Amino acid sequence: MSDAFLKAEIRPSSDMMERKAQPGPWREAIRSFGRNKTAVVGLCLVLFFALLALVAPLIMPYDYKAQVLTDRLKPPSGDHWFGTDDLGRDIFSRVIYGARISLLVGLLSVAGSIVIGTLLGIIAGFYGKWVDMLISRVFDILLAFPGILLAIAIVAILGPSLQNALYAIAIVNVPTYGRLVRSRVLSLRQEEFITAARALGANDGRILFKHILPNSLTPIIVQGTLGVATAIIEAAGLGFLGLGAQPPDPEWGKMLSDSRQFIQTAPWTVIFPGLCILLTSLGFNLMGDGLRDTFDPKMKGR
Amino acid sequence: MRKRMGWLFTLMLSLALILAACGGGGSGTSEPEASTKPGEAASTEPAADPAAGGSGGTLIVGRGGDSAALDPAIVTDGESLKIAQQVFDPLLAYKAGTTEVEPALAESWEISDDGLTYTFKLREGVKFHDGTDFNADAVVFNFTRWNDTESKFKFEGDSFDYYDSMFGPEEARVIKSVTASDPSTVVFVLNQPQAPFLQNLAMPPFSIASPAAIEKSGADFKANPVGTGPFVFKEWKRSDSITLEKNPEYWQEGLPKVDSVIVRSIPDNTARFNALQNGEIDMMEDLSPDDLATLESNPDLQKFNRPPFNVAYLGFNVTKKPFDDPKVRIALSHAVDKQGIVDAFFAGQAEPAKNPIPPSLWGYNDTIEDYPYDLAQAKKLLADAGYANGIEQPLTFYAMPVSRPYMPDGRKVAEVIQASFAEIGVTVNIESPEWATYLDDLSKGEKDDLFIIGWTGDNGDPDNFFYPLLDKDSIGGNNYSQYASDPLHEVLVKAQQETDQAERTKLYEEAQVIVHDDAPWVPLVHSTPLLAASKKVEGYVPSPTGSEPYAEISIRQ
Repeated sequence: MSDAFLKAEIRPSSDMMERKAQPGPWREAIRSFGRNKTAVVGLCLVLFFALLALVAPLIMPYDYKAQVLTDRLKPPSGDHWFGTDDLGRDIFSRVIYGARISLLVGLLSVAGSIVIGTLLGIIAGFYGKWVDMLISRVFDILLAFPGILLAIAIVAILGPSLQNALYAIAIVNVPTYGRLVRSRVLSLRQEEFITAARALGANDGRILFKHILPNSLTPIIVQGTLGVATAIIEAAGLGFLGLGAQPPDPEWGKMLSDSRQFIQTAPWTVIFPGLCILLTSLGFNLMGDGLRDTFDPKMKGR
Repeated sequence: MRKRMGWLFTLMLSLALILAACGGGGSGTSEPEASTKPGEAASTEPAADPAAGGSGGTLIVGRGGDSAALDPAIVTDGESLKIAQQVFDPLLAYKAGTTEVEPALAESWEISDDGLTYTFKLREGVKFHDGTDFNADAVVFNFTRWNDTESKFKFEGDSFDYYDSMFGPEEARVIKSVTASDPSTVVFVLNQPQAPFLQNLAMPPFSIASPAAIEKSGADFKANPVGTGPFVFKEWKRSDSITLEKNPEYWQEGLPKVDSVIVRSIPDNTARFNALQNGEIDMMEDLSPDDLATLESNPDLQKFNRPPFNVAYLGFNVTKKPFDDPKVRIALSHAVDKQGIVDAFFAGQAEPAKNPIPPSLWGYNDTIEDYPYDLAQAKKLLADAGYANGIEQPLTFYAMPVSRPYMPDGRKVAEVIQASFAEIGVTVNIESPEWATYLDDLSKGEKDDLFIIGWTGDNGDPDNFFYPLLDKDSIGGNNYSQYASDPLHEVLVKAQQETDQAERTKLYEEAQVIVHDDAPWVPLVHSTPLLAASKKVEGYVPSPTGSEPYAEISIRQ
């Protein structure tokens, strides 16, 4: 996806950047985002789950790891809103505590990818020559593997745990941001304000971090928001394969995998964690699309 | 544009969901249609052709894993021995559904008064599948192959593990010599009396293979087995299926009843059960107790109970801190809710265990009093052992990645134990490496602190539980606890050499007291493994040892 997306993305938003000097572009962006109903739905979903994750320990009716073996596989009721799983644990408590894990993994892994990707992208784009060659080829190699396969391989080497799953997802997504930033830098490098900065005697560091980086932020934000959705799904996938969160942590993908044999006899054990994965990734996707529409004049008004 | 695409996508997604739901309903209603055309279904099976000389049909069995190798002498896993029982016969066999010894390739036997000489009279006129004769020389060939560590028929990478563990390792062989006194008489001379000698001989690893085939195939024999058994080996598609065909010249009149057998590997419990429900297989092993209700509500299916003859246990690695201290082991023994585990995961198909051997085995010591589930007591004992604040440093808890007959889902059971331990302040991290690695790691005892595993009895003798699992000689083998106790070793060796049954019973009862007091294990459950089959399958009698010949099974057309 990245190639087509990059080409469509980069050039127009650089136009937008030049207009940044005009008063209130951010306010206009917010207004434009507000007019986009699906984007607002996405934002609400994200905020809802974020709030859930924050207050999870306060609103959990039960301890998420407390087992009552005699109450296993109970259907949803007043006592257990979402029913219980095969170890007699309250699914509602587990699902809301799971929001904490999934959002944390999603946000942290994307943050990691962005930091590393941006750094490598800037270096590659700004210095060019063999540095660019080397970094770009590393990106190519990483992109040559299907993402989830590479993540599985990384976790297999590091050993299965939530932390290692997070590292794996972060590593897998580095090239996405790296290439995005690199192409931004390549086009920005030619701009007159960079030449001007250089003429004023600014050194490389200053040009990179004071001029080029701020001007590359919007596509990163858009891509990052969409990336959180992917990261959450990848974390759930690794959890499902037993390579992510370890028991008793209530990671949504792990909950799905633990209960898949009950899909016929006790469907609530899989429906609720499944819905949560669906809704959070939908939320981030809608919000990301909305941000793109907002920041991307070429798409605006269509 | 983009937004409209989004709506289109949503629309198509919901359409797909609706279609999928209809599809499900559709297949349900089409089932009776299929069954109204039995002629069509039957004609595809070669067995239905009367010209084939019988209406045997094909038996398709689904199981959890594939064989490791097809030469029974070099394997120890149940899945490999399952196929061996179809292709080979040992000298003696177990009566269907029991561990009582009965004649097989040996018709009769005499034992000398000192218990050192066994003379076997062999069945005459039996032929191997390659057409060569079964006779005393073949028996001598096989035993020499297993006994002689320099044998040229011990191929690269192979070892005769079961021979070594049942008939003594190289430096302490039980069998002194095996000689053929005439073509149908074999004489075994022993170095010392061995009480379970006949029980041991009947084990599938000691099946007689065709010497001509071993000489011809060499190292390939483990993929091309030739024996005298009810079925002839046809094809092995690794990790998929093994095909066997009826041996028309089988020495047991009228057997086998089916024309061919296909044994398929379907690792996932749910997938295997689905295959049975869809009629893709006729019989399946290791039914998950959670699927029992579904099975019982299906009029086309039947359930088989394998006689309980196993133990699943939580083992402590006694070479690691803090489990080198028996006080800690006993404290944790109080923190395992065995009854809760039985009720939750075995649907009543198991009983809590207190000894390493199952109650159906002679020598079981029922006077042992189990450590009751009592977290307060556990906490107190842990404090007495010097861990008043629990054990915070996380311990590595190995739980099986695969379903086993003695425990369908080890990881779930481990989660229950993890939660109980957490309540007394003991932190454990559950790990489930891949199955072969799992067994390897347990053998070495370097990575794990505690673990879940189990054992199914092979031959109906208590020695077959105690010696391989708990004797100090078996460290590095199946003694995964790395438990070395000299008093226990003394009792076990004495029991091996004693031939008086009453005396042996006493010794094994004593062994259980030692094990209980030292607590290298928390015995968890003795389960009744569940099998399921189509109602068409008749004459199946599951053996307590975990596998049995399929010769008596027939399929009603």
